[in-house]
Amino acid sequence: MPQGRPVKRAYPALLLPGAAVYLGFFFLPLAGLFRESFRQFTPGGVGSAANAPFTLANYSELLTPSFAEFFLETMRISLLASLTGLLFAFPLAYWLARRLSPGWRATAVGFFVTLMFLSVLVRTYALELTLGAAGPLRPILLGVGIFPNGRGYIELLVAGGLLHYIVPMATLTLLATIQNVDPRLFDAAQNLGAPGWKAHLTITLPLCARGLLAAFLFSFTFSISAFVIPMILGKGRVLFISNLIYNRFSEVADYPSGAAISIVLFAVALTIVYVTSRQLHRRSMP
Amino acid sequence: MTGRALDNLLRLLGMLMIGGIVCFLLIPIVVTVVMAFDARAYLGPLPPPAYSLRWFRRFFSDDYFLRGLGTSVQLALLSATLSLCVGVATAVALDRGSWRGKEALTSLFLSPLIVPPVVTGFALLLFLSGLGLSNGFARLLCGHIIITVPYTIRSTLAGLSGIDGSLTEAALILGANERSAFWDVTFPLARTGIVCGAIFAFAISMDDVAVSIMLTDANTYTLPVALISSMRANFDLSIAAASVLLMLATLALILVLEKLVGLDRIIGQGVFR
Repeated sequence: MPQGRPVKRAYPALLLPGAAVYLGFFFLPLAGLFRESFRQFTPGGVGSAANAPFTLANYSELLTPSFAEFFLETMRISLLASLTGLLFAFPLAYWLARRLSPGWRATAVGFFVTLMFLSVLVRTYALELTLGAAGPLRPILLGVGIFPNGRGYIELLVAGGLLHYIVPMATLTLLATIQNVDPRLFDAAQNLGAPGWKAHLTITLPLCARGLLAAFLFSFTFSISAFVIPMILGKGRVLFISNLIYNRFSEVADYPSGAAISIVLFAVALTIVYVTSRQLHRRSMP
Repeated sequence: MTGRALDNLLRLLGMLMIGGIVCFLLIPIVVTVVMAFDARAYLGPLPPPAYSLRWFRRFFSDDYFLRGLGTSVQLALLSATLSLCVGVATAVALDRGSWRGKEALTSLFLSPLIVPPVVTGFALLLFLSGLGLSNGFARLLCGHIIITVPYTIRSTLAGLSGIDGSLTEAALILGANERSAFWDVTFPLARTGIVCGAIFAFAISMDDVAVSIMLTDANTYTLPVALISSMRANFDLSIAAASVLLMLATLALILVLEKLVGLDRIIGQGVFR
């Protein structure tokens, strides 16, 4: 901070509109959601009755194997997509940062930014049209013995949908990270006799650990809260937690159960962000 | 195997991975664009024998889609404007404040970013029906404001934090009062961040499904919600035409961002390039 800078006058009143919006559209609704999640639901009604008794049933229901399965499946596919995304994004970002001329790099960055901004609807529809059960790949898939309506293939397709966003996003995140690693360190390791792979493994990768962790955090939180991608590509056979919440609302109008699932998803997302950002913080101050 | 040979093998593998993933990212988009111009009335194998604009005409003659488009554009303009006003005010207050707990307050204002949108939408739905608000457009507006405000706050904060404090100081010494120093010096300097926030807000609002799908009513729905429900019903190629239009909109947005801000400023770049 430069000295002699005048004390800026604070205007706490400017916080009022923001405070009102956040209270009315965010914090109070979340508190209401929390309360609703403990209400007893009578099948056939829409939501809980005005003075329904409080119960833990909405949460204990989630521990049954059929519900736990949805959570595990969301986690499994999200983890698969995030790790695969990093595996592909890292060499891609390295290539962009170190092998391309500045002009081509700017073009490539424009390309990946456009891909990242692409509407989720376009992404999902394009994948379903190309790789889905009615797409042009159908004869090839059937030829090699893959059934495009099989569960395994649908799971892969959902992961592919997530990957289509994760790869551009992680590539751009890692591009900045790799450009902050001094390439002379790698050259020094090679001059001292280390083969390229070993120099990357012991120099480049550890120096990029923070960027990799950040990219993983973005990818994983994006994946577990994904809604459109599993809804369309999963065709009702693969349901993510988000889809389950929507079904509770739209199909059975069981708001208390939807609220309980929401609270659990919220807690999971919060935990992931907390744990990862603590790791990020630790690494930034060795 | 020697280290050198292993290096070459890994380099080859790396190039194959890069080629493969770029194909994976591009091919579906190319297929969609080609299919959107397909002249056939059914979903046939590639490439189409003839090309036409029939699916575009079909999209523009479908009332269901057009109503959604109308609602989406109105909603995006209105919610981006409102959340820009709220976001700029909040960011200025956060930037100027020097009280303890400012960091925590800033994180609190950015916290909607980490809540899954379906959860935000569902909570808002319960809350607003509790209040008896059943107007679809008003409900959607509430939802779109809360999902876009964090972006306008964040990018205005980024715009404000890059400003050299001595410029405001100079304006004050030269006789400007606090108000005109803000409007004539600080505000124009933070303009890039503010514009960026507005564009983000507009794009987020236009693209949202998870929050909107909870808050629509029978007559008020957004284009993405309309597209999603017809995507689930049947695989009609007028959605491919709509996708091409959305791609063009994205491209236009990126060009505007590049002209106004420069893409490298948005993603941030490293030192050693």
